[in-house]
Amino acid sequence: MGRIFITLVALFAVLAGIMVFQATRGTSSLVLTPSELVARAGQGDLLRIRVGARVVEPIEYRTEPAMVLRFDAKDPKDDKGAVVSVVYENLKPDMFAAGRDVLIDGDYRGGVIKAAKLQTQCPSKYEPAMPGGHPGGVGGAR
Amino acid sequence: MAEFGSFALCLTWVLALGGTVAGVIFGLNPASSSARNEILRRLTILVFVALGASIGSLGYSFVTNDYSIQYVWQYSNRDMPWIYKITAIWGGMDGSMLLWCFLLAGFCALVARASTHYPRPFVPWLMSFLNSSTLFFTTITLFLTNPFRYLKHQFILPDGNGLNPLLQNEYMAIHPPMLYLGFTGLAVPYAFCMAALASGQISNDWIRMTRRWTLVGWTFLTAGIVLGGHWAYLELGWGGFWAWDPVENASFLPWLITTAFLHSVMVQERKGILKVWNIALIVLAYALTVFGTFLTRSGLVQSVHAFASTDIGWVFLLYLGLIVGVAVALIVWRRSELKPERTIESMFSREAVFLLNNLVLLSICFAVLWGVLFPVFSEAFTGQKQTVGIPFFNAVNVPLFLLLVFLMGVGPTIAWRRSSLGQLLRSFLVPFLGAFVVATALVWAGITEFYPVLSYAICFFVLMTILGEVQRGLRVQAGVTHSTQWSPATLLTLFRRQRVKYGAHLIHFGVLVMTIAITASMAHKVEREFTLAPNERFNVGRFSLQLNEFHEEKTRNYEAVQAHVTVRAAKDDAVLAVLAPELRFYPKNKETTTEVALRMGAREDIYLVLAGVDETGTKASLKLYINPLQIWLWYGAILMVLGGGIVALPIRRASSQEALQPVGVSRSV
Repeated sequence: MGRIFITLVALFAVLAGIMVFQATRGTSSLVLTPSELVARAGQGDLLRIRVGARVVEPIEYRTEPAMVLRFDAKDPKDDKGAVVSVVYENLKPDMFAAGRDVLIDGDYRGGVIKAAKLQTQCPSKYEPAMPGGHPGGVGGAR
Repeated sequence: MAEFGSFALCLTWVLALGGTVAGVIFGLNPASSSARNEILRRLTILVFVALGASIGSLGYSFVTNDYSIQYVWQYSNRDMPWIYKITAIWGGMDGSMLLWCFLLAGFCALVARASTHYPRPFVPWLMSFLNSSTLFFTTITLFLTNPFRYLKHQFILPDGNGLNPLLQNEYMAIHPPMLYLGFTGLAVPYAFCMAALASGQISNDWIRMTRRWTLVGWTFLTAGIVLGGHWAYLELGWGGFWAWDPVENASFLPWLITTAFLHSVMVQERKGILKVWNIALIVLAYALTVFGTFLTRSGLVQSVHAFASTDIGWVFLLYLGLIVGVAVALIVWRRSELKPERTIESMFSREAVFLLNNLVLLSICFAVLWGVLFPVFSEAFTGQKQTVGIPFFNAVNVPLFLLLVFLMGVGPTIAWRRSSLGQLLRSFLVPFLGAFVVATALVWAGITEFYPVLSYAICFFVLMTILGEVQRGLRVQAGVTHSTQWSPATLLTLFRRQRVKYGAHLIHFGVLVMTIAITASMAHKVEREFTLAPNERFNVGRFSLQLNEFHEEKTRNYEAVQAHVTVRAAKDDAVLAVLAPELRFYPKNKETTTEVALRMGAREDIYLVLAGVDETGTKASLKLYINPLQIWLWYGAILMVLGGGIVALPIRRASSQEALQPVGVSRSV
């Protein structure tokens, strides 16, 4: 191994490590479910959170005088879990509807999530297969 | 048809297994004959034919609405146009795995055809490793994600569930196949690398043979990634093209490593160094494609794409361990033959700059991988899951990318081995001064943000170095042919004679154009929300938007309302465009989507989204994005893909000596 090779590799390892560490410290968000969020409600406001949730009624969307979307969200995997209110002051994302799973990034203030970013999860390619299917073709049966 | 498709898939599995095992047996026999190699070649081509029959039968089932097959029922319905019935083949996990196998087998068949000129002891191992990749993905498809399963129902349902409306888009026809061609293409360099180690053919020839195949994979991957960004830009209505989502990152990681390899491979060809480094990059690139597949099918991380928490993730992890394990074992076994022939002598040399380029690309790769896996790490070490988003990726990657672009200007210009101060000044003083003038002018013009100014200045620096290189080439060419220096004929001759070198410059120029477009669209984007009644106007910057009327449309597939908006120049009221953003409702899926209206221009894109129509049906709420220089992002990508294609083209073999190196690439870059 040459001296220059080792110096450059070591330099970049340190540089990349510092940059990643600093950026992580300054931008990371807590990932919570609505139930975990409600359980922490007594601790006051929470800044920079990400909540994975399922949209439930009531949903209110108005576009005048400004775009505001209000809805409730609950745990995707727990029907009896806590429900939190969400406010998103922006365009309603495509496919947004009750029953859809969403990713909410924002702050939790006064018992409401003020969403800075809202993404409807795209049920695209990799949905779990429907139960009940069985191999066709050789050995399969209708 | 399900029986036939399933049978063809079974046949594929048997043939791929045969190819893998026979390759090892023939490879271990030093007296392996040409006839045996021919058997392996034919076997590999047969795998492709069998997979073609399998995917063809699935396509036939889609087109003929055979809802006895669960997969067909789940991803299509009778009202879908036939083109979406075809694209629905890869609309779900099962079919996408079958497409993966088919494209991978296609690459393997092409390599098999081209391998008649390769060294005889190398071929059995090459065929074995290629077939082993196909075998793995066919095993998954056949036993875990078989798309030919019947729907378990008492009678055949009259209509299907239908494809997700967001996927009913023409980009669905081209983006996933392109991306998969990129992913599967990277299995080829891995197989070359492993075959070289296993057969002991570790001279630099294998590197030259694999470089063109790597470029093919890289070009497809580039096209696939950019097409995905373009699709998101046109379809999702948020005015952006890249969100650092895990799915996007999964395709970006192997691209970064492959790009690093395509640079460091030149150092090995020229100087006989970075041998283990290059092998590690190839293995890492292939491992990251498998990792990306694992990521999108394991439910490991949260994404805007709803991943399945399927139970097939562990199989990918197992395979990942296997390919890395085999590679490490072979490297250790051949370590004495992989020693560098010399060292890097100076920091001011092309080899040092290429190494720097590799380190920047690896740093970006590390940062992106860290960002993707941070939720997993944080939960494992602190018990509390945390995540990072766009601000993290921008904070780390923007400075690293700018450094990379800067190196793009230095690398092709600086001398191999060592550059003197005089040479450096001659090459870079004028571009550096030019960049300084550009930066000063931008600040004077009111652009004071640090990164945009730095980005434009670096781009100008690189542009000057590229033009300088072209000018030097033209001067020499004109001297040889006694022609005019800056004539198109001289330029064409120069390009033809040094296709690889100038193809690479074209790629770099494409990157430059993309960098300027990304900087402009990030730094100077305008975003507005407003509501208009008919004939009302909204003024923004150089434009005035006026709502004309609403238009309703009903098709078999969806119901839509369009708002017709005239865009005029604020200065002289000239009509620039009539845009028709649309809201669509798909009754079968009960989904609402927005269709963006877009006026693309050289200076900026006007990107309009219909957010809603009020209860009286007379007012439209609209969201407007003005994205400066956005179109140049796509043109830059086209240049990159074009450059990749030009460099990847086979070189005409002029002599029998060269015929021994069938995919040889010029050493001039």
